[in-house]
Amino acid sequence: MTSAKVSPQPGAAALERAMEKLVNTGAIDVPMLPEVAGKVVRLAQDADSDAAELAKLIQSDQILAGHVMRVANSALYTPNASLVSLQQAIARLGMKLISEIALGASINSSLFNAPGYDDHIQYVIRHSLLSGLWAKEIARACRRNVEAAFLTGLLHDIGRPVATQAIITKAKKLEIPIQKPVLFALENQFQRTIGVKVVEQWEMPSTVVEVVRYFDDYNAAGEAKNQTMIACAGSLFASHFMCRPGDEGCMTRGELIGQAVLGDLDLYQDEVEEILEKEDVVKSAMEALSA
Amino acid sequence: MNTPIAYDMLVIGSGPAGQKAAVEAARSGASVALIEKTRKLGGACVQRGTIPSKTLRENALRVRNMRMNAQLSNFKLAEDTELATLITRLNNVLNAHDEYMRKQLERTQVNLIHGRARFLSPQDVEVESVRGEKQTYSSGHILIATGSHPRKPPDIPVDHEHLFDSDSILSMMYLPKSLTVLGGGVIASEYASIFQALGVSVTMIDKYPHPLGFLDNDLTQTFLNDFTQMGGTWKGNTKVTRCYWNGMDAVITECDDGTEVRSEKLLCAAGRVANVKELEISNAGLQLNERGLIDVDDQLETQVRGIYAAGDVIGPPSLASASMEQGRRAACNSLEITSGVVHSVIPAGIYSIPELSSIGISETQAREKFGDVFVGVARFDEIARGQISGALNGMLKIVCDTDGKTILGIMIVGEGATELIHIGQMALINNSPVDIFVETVFNFPTLAEAYRAAALEIIHQRKINSSRS
Ligand SMILES: Cc1cc2nc3c(=O)[nH]c(=O)nc-3n(C[C@H](O)[C@H](O)[C@H](O)COP(=O)(O)OP(=O)(O)OC[C@H]3O[C@@H](n4cnc5c(N)ncnc54)[C@H](O)[C@@H]3O)c2cc1C
Repeated sequence: MTSAKVSPQPGAAALERAMEKLVNTGAIDVPMLPEVAGKVVRLAQDADSDAAELAKLIQSDQILAGHVMRVANSALYTPNASLVSLQQAIARLGMKLISEIALGASINSSLFNAPGYDDHIQYVIRHSLLSGLWAKEIARACRRNVEAAFLTGLLHDIGRPVATQAIITKAKKLEIPIQKPVLFALENQFQRTIGVKVVEQWEMPSTVVEVVRYFDDYNAAGEAKNQTMIACAGSLFASHFMCRPGDEGCMTRGELIGQAVLGDLDLYQDEVEEILEKEDVVKSAMEALSA
Repeated sequence: MNTPIAYDMLVIGSGPAGQKAAVEAARSGASVALIEKTRKLGGACVQRGTIPSKTLRENALRVRNMRMNAQLSNFKLAEDTELATLITRLNNVLNAHDEYMRKQLERTQVNLIHGRARFLSPQDVEVESVRGEKQTYSSGHILIATGSHPRKPPDIPVDHEHLFDSDSILSMMYLPKSLTVLGGGVIASEYASIFQALGVSVTMIDKYPHPLGFLDNDLTQTFLNDFTQMGGTWKGNTKVTRCYWNGMDAVITECDDGTEVRSEKLLCAAGRVANVKELEISNAGLQLNERGLIDVDDQLETQVRGIYAAGDVIGPPSLASASMEQGRRAACNSLEITSGVVHSVIPAGIYSIPELSSIGISETQAREKFGDVFVGVARFDEIARGQISGALNGMLKIVCDTDGKTILGIMIVGEGATELIHIGQMALINNSPVDIFVETVFNFPTLAEAYRAAALEIIHQRKINSSRS
């Protein structure tokens, strides 16, 4: 684990030590994935379950039900906004898609309590959602697991908001005033380990756990290497598309195409261009999902 | 065009054909470059075909055996078994294979080039790296060994998510509850029976009455009996009219008989086509034949002098085993090295559950060609070893010429078939009379004894015939 360059701020080192202890003892407060979302994911993987069961489950969470209906009725999925019941929406859109919508909706800023960092968390969540959508297209092009790609893209950075929340809580307890650069440095330092804990606790499939674990070094990911590379590539695509003109460190289209992970996935430049042509599809899915 | 780098031989593709060709050429002292577009070596055989499917099969057999021995273990796979857990050790096998191949290429001083090749002319090949850099290589001896990819019928919307092809089927995350398999060829039969053995409810649909039509009906019927006994469904003589993901919970396959098959996933195994899209073979003066393959003569040379082709790009038998030998021979022919005795009869191995294997010609072909041929059949349930190990559902068939002596072909269905066939192969290529199987003492109890039983049947018929005349 690399040490955060946080020494200039008084108390930062103490905070770093405290976080280290927290992470090592496993005492991190992992947010509860809304029970409904967890069940939805499991239900969607169960071939014996049916649409009515899924509808009933989603209906048990008013906010989630409302969100799913809004997305299902968005222009991307239902151009004439005609779906009135959840069951009808599931029949039209499919259990897998509805469960993706439900999970995407559950991973939102209300899961986290990090006052002052709402925008940051919002950004991370949007980035993750977009990573998941791009990862799906990349997986399709590579003929790799499309189902897992969305989940791994969506959850690869889940440690970030949890880390942010933990750092803020700890700093408050230790009465250490925290500055943004310090928080971000600490977040970078601890988020990966925390992320693994989160997906483990949320009982995500083992591939998802491995991808989160090895996201920063896909060469070490063993059997999960391909899936990890796809999540990394999805995340790079998301970064490229979320960068606004003038933002610092933005990747140009050319730089994106030249990224090592794409080469490692054996994607030639024209093949990457072909994936990039999915921009509109991904954009509409993003708009719909974050409606 | 940048200054071309010249080699005595250029080999395009590192599958079984390209790899053996490159090593053979380099061993004769030629300077050889092997061009491969993917980071990993080994082609379809290693990365997406033979080895991964056989690894899954190994576990499927274990699962089936545990189920069959219900008294010993009450075994059931967990509801949401991840497919990856059933393809155990694959990564180790692949890495070991990759390392072995790299070492062999290094030892023989083959220059490995990672990039995608395309022809500029009959002697010049441009290689584009994955990062977009280009370099030209030239040679008067070029081997195309770029393999094949799954044929995608225009009306089957393969999305690698619900509808798969043989390149992507093993990327499924969970073992599905049900699977429709389109096709009745080798790959279709292998995957259909492997998944069925794992407890997936499989429906196989094909336009022909029997799967594996190049084998005799009694063999394919034995395969089908096993498949249906495991719970699988075979729908022969059936055309698929439409196929789609219903957007909810099933892939729907509509058939011309008005029936509809619903399954969680679908595998489209509708044959394979040559990998030449990126190769731009027209720049070399070549074109594909009407079956989408590259034509070669008996020397494996294409219509363009100096350009050879081997492996799946030239079509059947489309086997790794055959591809290796073709690659080696193509290199020899091209560089005018003597290739040694080449036996044109090669076995076909089908790693379905149960296995099938054949060499030479079938009974049907033999009867068409020669008339009243002699046929001897041994069923595994008549052989002690079959009884002991419970491998009862199997048979071995020997087909002899009208003289009742000359072996024309051997076909086996049942566990161990792909190994057992080699005994027959040796007899066949050595022109041994069928009597050799009776004059030789085999281990007892073994399935190989089936050779003896089948041969005895032929010898018996021969005697009856000669006493009549
Ligand atoms: C599911 C499945 C199961 C199988 N099981 C068996 C089995 O049990 N036994 C058996 O004998 N056979 C089996 N086969 C068949 C066997 O895999 C093939 O016959 C064999 O791999 C063909 O070898 P090849 O060298 O012709 O081509 P490939 O193995 O396909 O290799 C071709 C190589 O060329 C490369 N290439 C393509 N285009 C270019 C380019 N433009 N530039 C550079 N490189 C390029 C590809 O990346 C690839 O690595 C199976 C196939 C499948 C799909």
